Amino acid sequence: MTSNGNGTQALRESPHEKRLVARFQAGESEALSALFDLHVDRVYAYSRHLLDNREDAEEVTSEAFLRAFERAATFRAECPFRGWLFGIARNLCLDRMRQPRLILMDPDDAGRASDGGTGADRMETTIAVRRALAELPEDYQLVLKLCDIEQWDALEAATMLEKSVQATKSLLYRARRALRSRLAEIWSDEETASAVEEATV
Amino acid sequence: MKCDEVKSLLDLHLDGELPMELTAKLDRHLLRCPQCAGELRSLEQTRSLLREAAPPCVPSPAFRERAAARLHTELAAHLRPAGGEESGRQWILPFSRHEV
Repeated sequence: MTSNGNGTQALRESPHEKRLVARFQAGESEALSALFDLHVDRVYAYSRHLLDNREDAEEVTSEAFLRAFERAATFRAECPFRGWLFGIARNLCLDRMRQPRLILMDPDDAGRASDGGTGADRMETTIAVRRALAELPEDYQLVLKLCDIEQWDALEAATMLEKSVQATKSLLYRARRALRSRLAEIWSDEETASAVEEATV
Repeated sequence: MKCDEVKSLLDLHLDGELPMELTAKLDRHLLRCPQCAGELRSLEQTRSLLREAAPPCVPSPAFRERAAARLHTELAAHLRPAGGEESGRQWILPFSRHEV
């Protein structure tokens, strides 16, 4: 981590990453593969959470890497490659979100939601949590997905969210409490509905 | 430590970012204060439920292979073959002529 002069922290490139970028700029195909392997999980996870669709996330991820490598000319040493790549991915996701889309249920979602679930109670909990998350403001959803689900460190999340680390943490802490409150409301509503149903039978 | 101070540190504690000396102070407070202990427990439970309900998104091996192959194909003109000999030839990328 390093300070950017505004009292906020900025992403610093590791010496390993810096060497890979230099090797890629010199035309080494192995460096391209290594940079791709280093970052593909992060770019895909971000795109997948934001777009909520596997195919879109795959297309955006693939395109982001292609553009990043093609535009290596504008890449400057003082800006870490990762931050630059994240910026391209973010813009591609935002462009994709502006396009009218036919919303289809992603088959992966059903599978992901039931992963590890064994009973009806567990499935109900999963549905309630996913509903509570979906009902939060978008910036709360995204910071929870990056920091608490994907377990990125605050600095990486801050880079992707274009915020300072402190602002990102503050957003995360508020988002955690909002999720807890919304979940409590959902369960409270369900208990009330269930009690009313029992009383009327 | 007062409850207000403890509550402001619970997320750092949850994320394992609290310095050791503060962790010890906070733990002592949590042993004596059921309200703050309950607050921490509910935050832990919420995060745990979230992780169970929505596991991390991981790209499939097939996608990784496809995307990597596309990059190598589309950028082939700019790249030296892996492990290839330069045989005295200097590879110049279109973008490496510029100042970076």
